[in-house]
Amino acid sequence: MIGHILHINHVCKNFGGNVAVSDISFSVDEKQIFGLIGPNGAGKTTLFNCITGFYPVTSGTIIFDNKKINNLRPDQVCHLGMARTWQRVKPLGSLTVLENVMIGAFSVTNVTREAEEIAIEQLASVGLSDYAAKFAGSLPIGLKKKLELARVLATRPKMLLLDEICGGLNHTETDGILTIIREVRNKGATIVFIEHDMKAVTSICDSIVVLNSGEKLAEGRPEEITKNPEVIAAYLGGGQNAND
Amino acid sequence: MFFLQSLLSGILTGGVYALAGIGMSLVFGVMNISNFAHGDLMMLGMYLAYFAFTLLHIDPYLSLLLIIPTAFLFGFIIEKLFIHRIINHPHQNQILLTIGLGLIMSNSALLAFTSDPKILTTTYSSSAFHFFGGISLSVPLLLSFVITCGIIGVLFFFLSKSTTGLALWATSQNREAAQLMGINVAKMSAIAFGLGTALAATAGALIAPTYYIHPMAGHTFLLKAFTICVLGGLGSVIGAGVGGVIIGVVESMASTYLSSDWKDVVVFIIFLAVLLLRPQGLFGKKGEQ
Amino acid sequence: MKQSAIIVIIAAVAALLPLMTGENPYVLGVMISVLMMAALSSAWNILGGYAGQYSFGHAAYFGAGAYTTMILISTFNVNPLVSMAAGIIIACIIALITGSIVFRLRGHYFGLASIAVAEIVRLSVLNVDFSGGAQGILLSDLSLWGLDLNSKNPFYYGMLIVLVVTLGITLYLRRSKTGFYLQAIREDQDAAASLGINLSFYKNKALLISAALTSVLGSLYALYIRFIDTSAVLDLRLSIEIILTAIIGGVGTLWGPVLGAVLLVPLAEMLRSNVIGETLVKHGIVSETSGLGLFLKDNLAHAHVLVYGIITVLCILFLPKGILGLFRRTK
Repeated sequence: MIGHILHINHVCKNFGGNVAVSDISFSVDEKQIFGLIGPNGAGKTTLFNCITGFYPVTSGTIIFDNKKINNLRPDQVCHLGMARTWQRVKPLGSLTVLENVMIGAFSVTNVTREAEEIAIEQLASVGLSDYAAKFAGSLPIGLKKKLELARVLATRPKMLLLDEICGGLNHTETDGILTIIREVRNKGATIVFIEHDMKAVTSICDSIVVLNSGEKLAEGRPEEITKNPEVIAAYLGGGQNAND
Repeated sequence: MFFLQSLLSGILTGGVYALAGIGMSLVFGVMNISNFAHGDLMMLGMYLAYFAFTLLHIDPYLSLLLIIPTAFLFGFIIEKLFIHRIINHPHQNQILLTIGLGLIMSNSALLAFTSDPKILTTTYSSSAFHFFGGISLSVPLLLSFVITCGIIGVLFFFLSKSTTGLALWATSQNREAAQLMGINVAKMSAIAFGLGTALAATAGALIAPTYYIHPMAGHTFLLKAFTICVLGGLGSVIGAGVGGVIIGVVESMASTYLSSDWKDVVVFIIFLAVLLLRPQGLFGKKGEQ
Repeated sequence: MKQSAIIVIIAAVAALLPLMTGENPYVLGVMISVLMMAALSSAWNILGGYAGQYSFGHAAYFGAGAYTTMILISTFNVNPLVSMAAGIIIACIIALITGSIVFRLRGHYFGLASIAVAEIVRLSVLNVDFSGGAQGILLSDLSLWGLDLNSKNPFYYGMLIVLVVTLGITLYLRRSKTGFYLQAIREDQDAAASLGINLSFYKNKALLISAALTSVLGSLYALYIRFIDTSAVLDLRLSIEIILTAIIGGVGTLWGPVLGAVLLVPLAEMLRSNVIGETLVKHGIVSETSGLGLFLKDNLAHAHVLVYGIITVLCILFLPKGILGLFRRTK
């Protein structure tokens, strides 16, 4: 039987008086590709920051791989096997592409040579080998996103949280990323990803949770979600183009 | 009685500190720059008051009418020549640039005026008001405090009522948004730095009659001004005002009950404690992490 | 060529230099200052250049080494090497306390807090009894295992050894996990944390290494000059000179701090000892009795800090990545 790998239990996050995430619960199955969608300001990234240890939750619990991870630091969360990418990419600009990926690889080895080998392999798997010696800061956005992916994959995660990994990419680039994500899942990782692009989400996800104004609006399979009138209303009412 | 005496003189000195702190906080708020030359600008204000008094025979408090516009212009030019070039640089470069400018100011003063401390003695320098119960307050400190209150009042009026003041405030809230709204943020930066310089020089001129004037005097005041800003919340003008008075009182209390040698240590410990416990300061909305 | 080979070659050349300059104590003194500043700046560079944590209070660790050594020797007559080890311990304790406070802060606050800690150390030393207060501490004759520590030569080699060790550590770190992690922290702290880097652990590690090396240099300096006071070893100006040296050469590069020291220290020494003014007078360019001549004679010695200020401003405006930065990767 495939078990749950991530449980979000009644998680709330307030900033001062503002409620950013309110009483959200859901579970993610192992080896799922799980989509977290919603209009801007729905609390998706905030929830990611809570899960990965960047924000302390106000209340509720987060259980990953049978461990409560609420009060862990980001690096501890990473060592448990959960890695994330950033909506606004964070390349380590004056390091090379290879060195960027090596930083990720150092979470599984202490030896520089081994880290380098892992990094070379990982770069090949996302098709960035040609750019290994370039400075990360100098890459165009599409390649920076790929670099982010290669870098977190080098930490050998059980679960991958991707924050708008396809944002700002064209169709070819998006397809390329989605192919990599499927491969990663087929190798046994679980993937949660935040996406704006409904098409990308419905084409790849096994299950979806929709957030709106910090609350859970709907949960289900992609075909159910796309037909859900509340979801449609939230996207249209929020002034969001579901396909942007 | 000691308590009341040191409380009162602490508040009076604190008023002048507040002025220096507000100047620094204004620059930080609008430009997001820690100005390490602030203390040296104060030192220049002290010398301006001194020379206005000895060469032109103008009363130090009256000379403010000369010092304020001169210092504003000086700050405005410094901003245009140096600071605006590094406004988007990393913090450490900004800090180093202002440190460099400070070193140039203090060491030019050292060459020009030598390291001998100067004393500005007015007819009322050592006179004091005596109150019931043996409390006495020095006349120059009292005068400084009154003038400080006046200047802070005018400044608040300017910041909250005038177009330029509101534009400054908008820039400090959100530089990008202010720019989108058509505010000339480059000009606002120059004005903010000019105002910061004018406030520093004013504070310097106001303490000149009660303090040794020497080229390295800025050092002590710089760290005090930072403590005041952090205490009040970097960028908060009201916070800096209150922070200044608090630091004045703490110093005065520490001198009375501990020893004047340790008063600066107490100030720095408070500084670290604030950074640790409440990095956004007493009046700051949110810490810059 | 491999960097480690370059270090060995340069160290060998430096080791032979005193033989070539003969017995000129002035030149040897300047060379000792160059080595010391190169080592200080390189030690700072581990934290400031690689981890991107600009400490504006490194004088605290230098002073910790200098004062611990001087107090232990003058009151308890301990072996200089033991006193040096004690200095390292004290510096590391200060570093741990500093680290636990300042590394929770970022941006402006970090720089300010590092200054505040250093000022607390300076003022405390100035105000306690056992440190000699404002008078400082003076040491008479000194020897170690028959080595005459009153001469300059041992200190030249002592400083050289610490510099080589510092460069070696830097080189080792740069190729190791720690070095990569420090650079990741410098580039983006959030990204670093999300990739499994324990920020405070690695920042503290860099600070401890840096502080320990700085403290050894403080001890050496104290034994070399045999007189210290707070203005010589704990002043904010020293902290700033250390940073400037690295900035001018190139922050975050192996050789930047060394280059900075080679350029800046002799310049400062020339100004301080008024070589320039004397040369101008000697060659008849400026008459000794003219107004300008008198002014130069009296004041140029004070001008070295002014020159530092001018260099800093020019460097930040026109050469923010330092001289080596010109030849290095751009973002």
